[in-house]
Amino acid sequence: MRTTTPPAPTTQATQATQATNSRALHRRRAATVGFHAGAGLLSVLWLIPIALVLVTAVRSFDDIAANGLGALPHSFTLDGFSQAWTDGGQQRALVNSLLVTVPTVLLSLLLASMAAFALSRYDLPGRRTLLLVMLGGNLLPPQILLIPVSKMAELFALHDTLWALIGVQVGFGIGFFVFVLHGFMRAIPAEVQQAAVIDGAGPAQIYWRIVLPLSRPALAALGALSFTWIFNDLLWAITVLRTETRMPITASLLGLQGQYVSQWNVIAAGSVIAAAPTVLVFLRFQRHFVAGLNLGAVK
Amino acid sequence: MATSLPSRRRFLTGAGAAGLSAMLSGCVTSVRSGGGTAGGAVTLQSNLSSPQAKSALQTVVDAFNSRGGSRVSLNTIASETFRTQLPTYLTSANPPDLYTWYPGSVADAYAKRDLLLDLDDLWKGPDLSRYSAALKRLCSTRSGTKVFVPTTYYWWAFFYRKSQFEKWGVSPPETWDEFLDLCDKLKGKKVEPIGMGAGGNTAWISSSWFDYLNIRINGPQYHRDLLAGRHRFDDPEVRRVFDRWDEARPFLDSKSTALPFQDATTELLQGRTGMMLIGTFFADAVPKGGLDDIDFFRFPAIDPEVPMAEEAPTDGYFASARSRRTRQTKELLGYLATAEAQELYLKGSSGTALPTHPDAKDSGTALVKKGRALIEGADEVTQFFNRDSSDELAPTADTALIRYLAEPEKIGSILTTWQRDAEKIWGK
Repeated sequence: MRTTTPPAPTTQATQATQATNSRALHRRRAATVGFHAGAGLLSVLWLIPIALVLVTAVRSFDDIAANGLGALPHSFTLDGFSQAWTDGGQQRALVNSLLVTVPTVLLSLLLASMAAFALSRYDLPGRRTLLLVMLGGNLLPPQILLIPVSKMAELFALHDTLWALIGVQVGFGIGFFVFVLHGFMRAIPAEVQQAAVIDGAGPAQIYWRIVLPLSRPALAALGALSFTWIFNDLLWAITVLRTETRMPITASLLGLQGQYVSQWNVIAAGSVIAAAPTVLVFLRFQRHFVAGLNLGAVK
Repeated sequence: MATSLPSRRRFLTGAGAAGLSAMLSGCVTSVRSGGGTAGGAVTLQSNLSSPQAKSALQTVVDAFNSRGGSRVSLNTIASETFRTQLPTYLTSANPPDLYTWYPGSVADAYAKRDLLLDLDDLWKGPDLSRYSAALKRLCSTRSGTKVFVPTTYYWWAFFYRKSQFEKWGVSPPETWDEFLDLCDKLKGKKVEPIGMGAGGNTAWISSSWFDYLNIRINGPQYHRDLLAGRHRFDDPEVRRVFDRWDEARPFLDSKSTALPFQDATTELLQGRTGMMLIGTFFADAVPKGGLDDIDFFRFPAIDPEVPMAEEAPTDGYFASARSRRTRQTKELLGYLATAEAQELYLKGSSGTALPTHPDAKDSGTALVKKGRALIEGADEVTQFFNRDSSDELAPTADTALIRYLAEPEKIGSILTTWQRDAEKIWGK
């Protein structure tokens, strides 16, 4: 943009800069609009299934049967929720789910943190092997263990009890938890521990009063993650349980489907009920969820 | 771990692995088998998880418990879970006593592995001894032992809406040519003539077409033999089934393999499709009052020489051979076989099923009366593809038939593949 004509060089220059500026501004605006439109569209795509479930949950079965699942709603009713809650047995199933999930999360965090403490803070023989076995166990697809687990539960006379489910879940969760917590605890400076030793603290005290409080972020993240995993599990539940009254919410949700015909409104309402606890946990521990994603990623 | 030192760590790893595998294999083999007698309530493991059927069965269970004899507790499992877990239930050391399931070759497969309770003495009782000869044959294993108690059955046919047929000015056909003619007329009126509903997770619906065409062209005996592995899927007889299907294929709804049958039912009710080959269970997906307008006609005759068989899948119960409450279980089975129990169940359920007891009354609607007449007048009765073969063979049919509907010109290679897949299952 060289100005060769002497008269009013400044005005021209200003005009030129203004033009460039406004062009850049335009481009930036267009980019912003494009970004928001694109992101908005993506999130709408993401939300459509959820919206569909919510809408289906408040329709009546006759409306769905007459107009189809994809049609615009012609009815509004909360019957689906009450049917799922009482007739579908979701109330009892929700209690079962919490009876399994809460102890499992607490127990596996306790055991895993103990193991991780020992493995990361002390030079135990075979600790590398142990960690590798735990990691290897995580790579194993759970499907191949269904039959052994089912037979073992029977052998220990635990099958068809919530204890069996708690045991299985703790067993399967612990490998991953130890691995993650080990990575986290290793990063705690040795000086902290040494200072405690000088002050006369034994391993138990160091674990309980030093390492555990320092690992709180990792524990919270793992707790939140494992809550959703265990709460949403179906496979182990139907493997070790066989009585209707002991089934957790996921299995009872499946039970809402008929052999041939499914009442989609009741199933949708049931899904909303089943999703509520995990959504609550997510909202409460949102921060930790994100933290959990890169936990153990950086050593 | 690139060192070649025989370290203690390695030894421990190896010892641990060996110990673990020994423990696991020990678990698999050392589960004791039960048997004998015990007290307590009979457990009835049921797959009737839809709310209506579940509460209907609960009424029957309550009625049995109020008689003051043995007691039973109903345990309803999601039908999908039940299907996959049934072998686990039956082989466990302390299994549930009684199960809802199917008679015929499916029950026979379990009986062959000594998992089912022998019910010969029960069949000599006042109710079961009067059941039809066809049912007696159906509930026996190949070696002749009775292992099953049937309670209800339903039928398959082309269902349509009476008011729509009147509006279009058409009437139900008797023969294959009339049927094609009807389809042609409907097509002319811009209606999709035949709905199917083999999409989503109900691909098995397509087997009904294969079953019926095979039964009408090659006869029911050939059909049963084919499913039992005594004929081949790449035989010219089977090829003829698809030649006929080719004639009807242009009239199938374009969404045949896109919609699950429940949505296809909605299409039928809204008049977008003309008719649908379906079992009466579809009635559960019909809104209240909609059933009055529904009528059906039997699958049209193709070859007048072939006896007219109909598909009428039978439902009922079998008991575990390892049950510790055999006396109580048989008492319950005896009750379930009575007309009283079957009527009680039908009253509570959606009412399109038929009782197996000769004296039991059905729900009495015109549709059900016509259905009962259809089955009672049939020359022979078949079950359904999966029940006449096995749970393993059924998926091969789904794969082959859905592929045929997508690429009909490749039928030759499809049948060859089907035969190969089936041989793997029959060979077991």
